[in-house]
Amino acid sequence: MKLQVQTLVKSYGPVAALRGVSLELRDGEVHALCGHNGAGKSTLVKILSGVEQPDEGVLEINGEPISFRNPLDAQAAGIALVDQELSLVPQLTVAENIDLGRAGASFITRPGRARPRVKQLLGRVGLGHISPSTPVELLSIGERQLVEIARGLGREAGLLILDEPTATLSDTEIAFVFNAVRDVAAEGASIVFVSHRLGEVLSLCNVVTVLRDGELVATKPIAEVDRPTLIEMMVGSVVDADTSELRPSSGKIVTVSSLQVPPRVTGVDLQLEGGQIMGIAGQVGCGASEVLRALGGLVPQAAGDVSIAGKKVRINTPRGALASGVSYISGDRKGDGLFLNRSVSDNLIATRLGDLSQAGIMQPRAAARTAKELAEVAGIDPSRLRSAVVELSGGNQQKVFLGRCLDRKGTELLILDEPTRGVDVGGRAEIHNLIRRAAAAGHAVIFASTELTEILDLSDIIVTMFGGQVVSTRQRSEVTAASALAEITHRDSDAKAVA
Amino acid sequence: MTEVQQSPRQGRRARALGIMPVLLLVAMVVMFFVIPALKGTSPTDFNVYNAFQDWSALSLLALALGITVIAGEFDLSVLAMYSLGAMVAVQTGTSSPVLGVVLAVAAAGLIGLVQGLIVAKLRINSMTVTLGGYLTVLGLVNIIGGNASVPYKNVNVGISLDDPILSFFSIRSLITIAIFAIVFLVLRYTVLGRNLRAMGGERRATRIAGVRADPLLVGCFVASAMLAALGGSLLGYSLATAIPDLGFGPLIFAITAVLLGGVALAGGRGSALGIAAGAFTLALLNELFGLMATPDYISDLITGGLLFIVTIISAPDLFGWWRSVRAAKVTTPEQEPVALEKS
Amino acid sequence: MSTPDSTAIRPLAAIYTGSRRQLIGRAVAGVLIAFFIFGAVTTDSFTSIQNIRAILVATGFVGIVAVGMTVIMLSGNLFSLSLGTTVSVGAITFLWALKLGLVPAILITLGVGTAACAVQGLVIGAIGANPIIVTIGAGALQAGVAAWLTDGSSIFPPAGDKSFDFMTSTPLGIAFPVYVLVVLVIICELVMRRTRFGKEVYLVGENRQAATAAGLRVTLIITGAFAIAGACAALAGMLLGAFNQNATLLVGGTFTFDAIAAALVGGSAVTGGRGSVTRALFGALIIAAISDMLLLRGYSTGIQIMVKGLLVLFVVVIVQLNAREDRA
Repeated sequence: MKLQVQTLVKSYGPVAALRGVSLELRDGEVHALCGHNGAGKSTLVKILSGVEQPDEGVLEINGEPISFRNPLDAQAAGIALVDQELSLVPQLTVAENIDLGRAGASFITRPGRARPRVKQLLGRVGLGHISPSTPVELLSIGERQLVEIARGLGREAGLLILDEPTATLSDTEIAFVFNAVRDVAAEGASIVFVSHRLGEVLSLCNVVTVLRDGELVATKPIAEVDRPTLIEMMVGSVVDADTSELRPSSGKIVTVSSLQVPPRVTGVDLQLEGGQIMGIAGQVGCGASEVLRALGGLVPQAAGDVSIAGKKVRINTPRGALASGVSYISGDRKGDGLFLNRSVSDNLIATRLGDLSQAGIMQPRAAARTAKELAEVAGIDPSRLRSAVVELSGGNQQKVFLGRCLDRKGTELLILDEPTRGVDVGGRAEIHNLIRRAAAAGHAVIFASTELTEILDLSDIIVTMFGGQVVSTRQRSEVTAASALAEITHRDSDAKAVA
Repeated sequence: MTEVQQSPRQGRRARALGIMPVLLLVAMVVMFFVIPALKGTSPTDFNVYNAFQDWSALSLLALALGITVIAGEFDLSVLAMYSLGAMVAVQTGTSSPVLGVVLAVAAAGLIGLVQGLIVAKLRINSMTVTLGGYLTVLGLVNIIGGNASVPYKNVNVGISLDDPILSFFSIRSLITIAIFAIVFLVLRYTVLGRNLRAMGGERRATRIAGVRADPLLVGCFVASAMLAALGGSLLGYSLATAIPDLGFGPLIFAITAVLLGGVALAGGRGSALGIAAGAFTLALLNELFGLMATPDYISDLITGGLLFIVTIISAPDLFGWWRSVRAAKVTTPEQEPVALEKS
Repeated sequence: MSTPDSTAIRPLAAIYTGSRRQLIGRAVAGVLIAFFIFGAVTTDSFTSIQNIRAILVATGFVGIVAVGMTVIMLSGNLFSLSLGTTVSVGAITFLWALKLGLVPAILITLGVGTAACAVQGLVIGAIGANPIIVTIGAGALQAGVAAWLTDGSSIFPPAGDKSFDFMTSTPLGIAFPVYVLVVLVIICELVMRRTRFGKEVYLVGENRQAATAAGLRVTLIITGAFAIAGACAALAGMLLGAFNQNATLLVGGTFTFDAIAAALVGGSAVTGGRGSVTRALFGALIIAAISDMLLLRGYSTGIQIMVKGLLVLFVVVIVQLNAREDRA
């Protein structure tokens, strides 16, 4: 099927995600969609699969304009999506998951009759050894991803969208996926392959489209590009000049050794000093979020040694971590972070109610003063102290979240996951300043980001992660945008090849 | 998206609970014969028959609640639907018992439809909606019955429903077994059942996969109300009375049976067979109480305690809590070896 | 995952659907209020002094339990389905313990109620057990223990004991429980607004996950919230026992549902974090007035129960319709 996309525009509030992107997908073609975080890939995929609707622009299938109100419409039009987040039901069997939501399935499920078809689909992704009646919850994460790809293949769609399908897979597993994708393309379907892994793009795809900041950089036949040109197209004009010298250390050393976060993250070692900012760069699924969650005490199963100035940190409960001087600022500020319907002031003082009360009685004046001070520090308009947090913009919400964790008595280590997710440009700068300020005050700061510019702007030490493991740890001055991107987009061996 | 993916280890742990209904049932059967023997008596065929009768009286209520729990919801109103079933059947089924049951089931289904629509369309917590539904229907039952128990004039119906067949069974328990068989087949071998389990397991993923979740949810509440009313109407005929307010006893039985039957409160896990087994375990327990002439308060204490225990076992944070308690016990960090996970 | 803030395109749609939904919500609320006023005006002797006193007494009892129920709701644990049983247990304990003297009896009763509910809160808070099921099970356990100890018979106060007469007095023509309720509301409101514990109850109720991540004392807070509810229920039971001069397990009767209805009608959010105990007082007043009105008009218990059920449904739907659609 021939699908054409013309001048798509989509914004989320003040943030423009797509600014007039056009694209053409042809039968039998594997079309790579590349671009760094924030380039607009996800938004484009969401529009193609009916999850989101564009503000402007047209979709055409075989020349006919078409619009999708929801994912079901897109499926009816022959578009199948393999989402980047796992979308299987763990309690159901492999066969049941593969048939879930398939149009035209008979009312009575006959596991016996579906078996050959499911077996064949599993075989195509290299899971021939797995029985269709295995419950998905017994599979490893990589196997689950393959089942999901098998489901996408089983939809016999005219357009198959694979969003980061290989993030959790091993090399052999990837080889199977590639073969399956080539087969489907040979059968005449068109395929969109979204990936950060340039090696994979170069070996699998026929055409590559690079997006940057919501705009189309170029669409080129794969023969016309190589790794360095792709990296250049993705990175654009990132300024590499700002290699500010190391911040003065406060001398308190934070060490993390052999941290494991089941099921995927193993053997993570980190070391930094108070006053320094460490940035963990990596793509979605690289394991950085899991590492930070574990440090914040949110993963009871995590194991490893963490210490601050020689003192052991208890990382099995949030209270333990907090008591040991770790403040964790989640990337999911609505779920793990803010109390949306409470006031800005209540949110700011939420974690220091103990200090603001005497014998359990709140000291209203001290509380009001603290809230005001924190608002000032975090750059929040004091007139909004009484508004509910839910009424603020994303940037201001994030400032409230940060403000709550700043200047806390006893905090040694500040941990931030995606500190500027969903925040506009102005808000970003302010949040970056807050982070720098925290470091200047002597805190050790570890943050994770999928945005390279943010990593390069803020960090003294840059850690790159890939597939649940640390690739490298370097001083800021030793890292360029291109070298970092190379390390987080493909495996060790590939990185050496490019260097 | 910060949700940590469940590991295969956790999956195995969760599945291991699936065998619980069978083990408990076996243990109960053993106890059913051993404990009376200690006191020099032994259960007769009649006791077994009685256990089946007890089972048919309450197991449909458990099934009604259970299917909503499998779908990731919780229907408190089943208790009132149960009373409603008895009340409508007893009052309308004098000349034709079948008509009475049909009317009872239809009335309950209609109310279930309204509840289902509120839950699905307005996305309101189902416990709250069905609490309102419970009170409303309970009031309705009292209105229909004039705030008093209503006798069923066609007493013969009850007698023939309960007439022993093959010494253990009766028409009533056979009907109940048939209903369980149907629900089992639907849940296990149809798209409907699969989608229902999927919805309870992972609603977001199910929607993304292309399942229309809302009609399914509404249907689930309709089916739940109808099953409860069916169970109630059969009981009404059997007792030849409809009692407007049964108290929480039947609901406690139903919840315990559902949990003992391996249905996860978080949804997505469980089967009609498990619920049947859980209910039969409890029915045997009740019969054992009767056999041993256990005072009411002791049997109440045991059933209440049982519910408390299964609730604790099925609590989501039990594991994490245990980990943190263990971690907190370690006072001297030097002596604590790093707990390396073999995975 | 991107989090779109209020956007350039959404406002138009939001104003339309939002206002339409809210309009429906307000219309339904208006109809309910009109119904109530119509009923009040057309019911004979509804507005007589005696009747208003009767309503106030009922408000006193329901309100005390509703205060406890509201605290549970605010902590984000829906509601308890056995506070009524705790009321019965309170009444039984009080009348039984009077032989030890008034003050010990009061202390023992409050202690028993608090402990019974605190245990439930502990289980719910520490391991995330389902509050509805825990409270149902705990209800059965309390009833079992009470039946065991009392042998299922009524409990009477020691003959000739006048020490608790003040509980049945009517200073200034208003029954004693009403004063207790007002004082209780003031104390609880102060606790909820002015103490660290109260602030944390609201936070945990608003977002338990975030509260855990922020290192708040979630288990302690939820245990505390249930303990308060237990103390309130025991208090109501004590007054009820004194009022009736005897106590059985049945005395708690409709308190569980009346208190839930009162807390919801007062406008506290069933999902936690929003509302106040003062609102519960008004909710209790409305529930008591409606019950009374239905009674005066000669409606049966059936209709009274049904009206409360419908009221719960309507209130829940109205609240949802009026809620902002930020997570649609």
